[in-house]
Amino acid sequence: MTTAPEAWDGAAVASRRMWWRRVRELAHISPIVAVLIGLLLVFLLPPTIYLIKASLYTTKPNGTFDQFTLRYYAELFGNPRFFQNLWNSCVYAVGSAAVALSLGTLQAWIVERTNTPLRHYVFLISIISLGIPSVLYTVSFLLILGKAGPVNQLLMWLADSPVPVINVYSMWGMIVVEGIDFVPLTFLMLSAVFHSNDASFEEASMMSGAGIVETFRRITLKLATPGLLALLILIFVRAFESFETPALVGRPGRINVLSTDIFESLRNSIPPNYGQAGAFSMVLMAIVIGLLAWYNRLSRDAAKYQTITGKGFRPRAMDLGKWRFLTAGLLILMFIVIIGLPVGIVIYASLLPYYGGVTLASLKLLTLSNYEQVFASGSFKDAIGNTLILGAATASLVCPLTAICAWLSARRYRGAWMLDQLATMPLVFPAIVMGVAFLYVFLQLPFGLYGSLLSVILVSMVRYLPYGMRSSYAGVLQLHRELEEASGISGARQATTFLRIVLPLIAPSLITCWLFVFLLSVKAVAAQILLVGPRSQVIAVTLFDLWNNGQVTELAATGVTWMALMTVVSTIFYLIARRYGLSIR
Amino acid sequence: MLSVSGLFKQYISHDGTPGGGVFGADFTLKEGELFTLLGPSGCGKTTTLRSIAGLETPQKGRITLGSRDLFNSQSGVNVPMYDRDIGMVFQSYAIWPHMTVYENAAYPLKVGRKKKYSGAEVERKVKEALDMVGLGAFIQRPSTQLSGGQQQRLALARAFTREPDLLLLDEPLSNLDAQLREQMRSELKRLQKETGVTAIYVTHDQSEALAISDRIAVMNEGKIVQLGQPKDIYNRPTSEFVAHFIGRTNLIHGEMAHDAVAEATETVATPLGALRCFFPGTAKARKDIAIVVRPEHIRIRKAGAALEDGDNRLTGRLKAETYLGEIVEYVVDVAGKEFLVRTPFVQPIGPGDAVTLSFAPERTIALLEA
Ligand SMILES: Nc1ncnc2c1ncn2[C@@H]1O[C@H](COP(=O)(O)OP(=O)(O)O)[C@@H](O)[C@H]1O
Ligand SMILES: [Mg+2]
Repeated sequence: MTTAPEAWDGAAVASRRMWWRRVRELAHISPIVAVLIGLLLVFLLPPTIYLIKASLYTTKPNGTFDQFTLRYYAELFGNPRFFQNLWNSCVYAVGSAAVALSLGTLQAWIVERTNTPLRHYVFLISIISLGIPSVLYTVSFLLILGKAGPVNQLLMWLADSPVPVINVYSMWGMIVVEGIDFVPLTFLMLSAVFHSNDASFEEASMMSGAGIVETFRRITLKLATPGLLALLILIFVRAFESFETPALVGRPGRINVLSTDIFESLRNSIPPNYGQAGAFSMVLMAIVIGLLAWYNRLSRDAAKYQTITGKGFRPRAMDLGKWRFLTAGLLILMFIVIIGLPVGIVIYASLLPYYGGVTLASLKLLTLSNYEQVFASGSFKDAIGNTLILGAATASLVCPLTAICAWLSARRYRGAWMLDQLATMPLVFPAIVMGVAFLYVFLQLPFGLYGSLLSVILVSMVRYLPYGMRSSYAGVLQLHRELEEASGISGARQATTFLRIVLPLIAPSLITCWLFVFLLSVKAVAAQILLVGPRSQVIAVTLFDLWNNGQVTELAATGVTWMALMTVVSTIFYLIARRYGLSIR
Repeated sequence: MLSVSGLFKQYISHDGTPGGGVFGADFTLKEGELFTLLGPSGCGKTTTLRSIAGLETPQKGRITLGSRDLFNSQSGVNVPMYDRDIGMVFQSYAIWPHMTVYENAAYPLKVGRKKKYSGAEVERKVKEALDMVGLGAFIQRPSTQLSGGQQQRLALARAFTREPDLLLLDEPLSNLDAQLREQMRSELKRLQKETGVTAIYVTHDQSEALAISDRIAVMNEGKIVQLGQPKDIYNRPTSEFVAHFIGRTNLIHGEMAHDAVAEATETVATPLGALRCFFPGTAKARKDIAIVVRPEHIRIRKAGAALEDGDNRLTGRLKAETYLGEIVEYVVDVAGKEFLVRTPFVQPIGPGDAVTLSFAPERTIALLEA
């Protein structure tokens, strides 16, 4: 028997021993694990190394590194604008995380915990909204809240003011737009948190005489706190590195954040300032790594909390009585703000020859000419084709790869812990930084990858590896170990067991993984914008360029067409998920 | 047949701290025997079974099946599980939900590399196995549409299709309801005898073990503490642990003045008086020896009634009686110590009455181990 101090020492020794064991494991690594580690390293090492080098070396005009220098870091930290922009990044990230989390929590609670009518539609709507490109979403809010938008028109009329009353190109504008953009994803992740907390805790509270609000505040929220906190950090990280909103809303209002700084050092300076972009990227990455480490600690705690749910687990709805019509009203209101208005205004703009706000006069001008133009354009068709290929290829690469990695690592194959670590590593690259890092690599490579669709696909694959890993891991964990052991005892080797038992049984979560990765990879612009060339235009980047050229109505028509396509995809996904009882969380 | 010696397997948790497992198990199975590993939850039964199956790699020991080493830590032999020719029924049944009943049972014949079977052969063997467990009519059913008992049968059929040298069963009945459990228990025993397969059966249920086994190994904290036929395990426990684990028991501590001879009786002085006890093995005279008497081996009478000669006898006062249907349970206070008595014969006595307890010396077992 160990006494207490020994036990304490034992824990330290134990954790040292664990590391030693893990390292020693690599000496007898399984061949398949070794091959996969090699494959992941090929994709992860070069961009990381080039990024670090780019921030520490001067670059020749042909793109090769020249001399070692600390100049870029010195410039960065010597410039007061850097600290201003860092501060902006923080305010922006905190603000949008707060907006997303408060709206998302309310929505998730209503859907998971009450008997509000219409609540089941929120899932469908959230998934559909995942298919709206971020650029389009941001633009739609600019159309609503901008100088010529309906909100300003209304306020000007109310306040009898000759000039626009609100200026969306400001910090609050960025926060509102980004915050609302994140609500659907926040909702989907939060509903999982609420779903996994046992309703009997709430019932016990109500039986003790607490009201609904009291119970929500004291029990539901408290139990969900670790999960909520972890999610808060995650959204904070995502907002911190986000690019679309700062580029479209912040820049015109001269509010810069780190991600737009990186973009500008490459796009708006001639020749591109690779050193500065590299230094910026390193700083942004360092901050993200710190935040993610914190997130990991918190989500481990969250997992501990969730073990409270045990055998008697049953999520059940709370009867709100008459109040359920109020919550239904809230859901409808949120639906209008989150989806209705943005989509409405884009459709409206797509039918006008030019966008000049919502007026009676413009109703007479309605026309389909934008659509005619879009459909007639070959580049639009190319972009659609490219984007579908991009999404499908990314998902088809990510899901099988992460399925194997997740299985090997869940079944503790020798050295497989490293697969897990490597596949989650891309999380620390902010999207724009990943674009920069791969840009360096592709510029150096001889076989003309730069600007090709393949290059965009490869970057996308790396970027979504962690998402695939998370989803595949969940699938593998649900698989009872004995199902595989029974196959081994029956005389099957590992490969046979994987193909005939594991793969068919995790197929449902593979499908979910595929569709999620598909939707996410075609939605964002940040990782792609620095890489696409004339041969590899994709929708998100097309929309971004159209906005920058001031072609608002063409943008709207392109966006609506794409959204329609994605809505079909999302709905099919939703229906498959319902049919097979897949988890869409 | 199967021989396991010095089997040592300790789990190391992922932060490096050593945990439970099996710490040195030795046993040998005879051909066609049904051998049971019995013990409380966490005592290492599953670990032993999984080591034999090749699902775990022990740190030390040797496992031999027939003339072939399956595992030998000294020579470094470790046959992979898919080459061991062992059938196993898992506690969760592990029926593959994406396959039909037929596909589940046919799987071992299709994936095994050692022996190839023709299509007709596979079909015949699978049908045979399914008929044997009474699932012949369900052959094309999706396996998700089976009840718990049917899944259990299917798991059994699947383990049998390859006609394994050894069958391992890990608490196969623990997920069934009580009635089905008893029915399956006798059916299992019948199947095992019919096919003549050698089997290791794991359970934590002592009555199940007693009913089904040819021999039982009782395990505790990773070690085998007693090995023998059911009636010996029950009637001749060697330790307090086995005595308490297998059925209810009365335990008395005493002192012995003389050395005891094996298979004979010897007097032990106890606080309740001198008792003649049966010694299964030799024992040196010692200060503290524990003896046990099963509650159903004690006769209870009103004080003063005539008794057989040579029996141990104690007098006390009845504290409580409980009717349990087929038997009656009496609690008797003998000089401050509670005695439990179970008998099918209701006695004309009530609480507070003076009673006499008597039990034969050969039913008064001295525990040779501490
Ligand atoms: N995979 C494992 N990792 C760590 N400890 C384990 C593992 N499996 C079993 N153990 C531990 O080993 C001991 C024996 O377990 P087991 O053989 O499953 O017991 P039984 O089957 O007799 O209930 C227990 O203390 C259990 O906690
Ligand atoms: Mg067990």
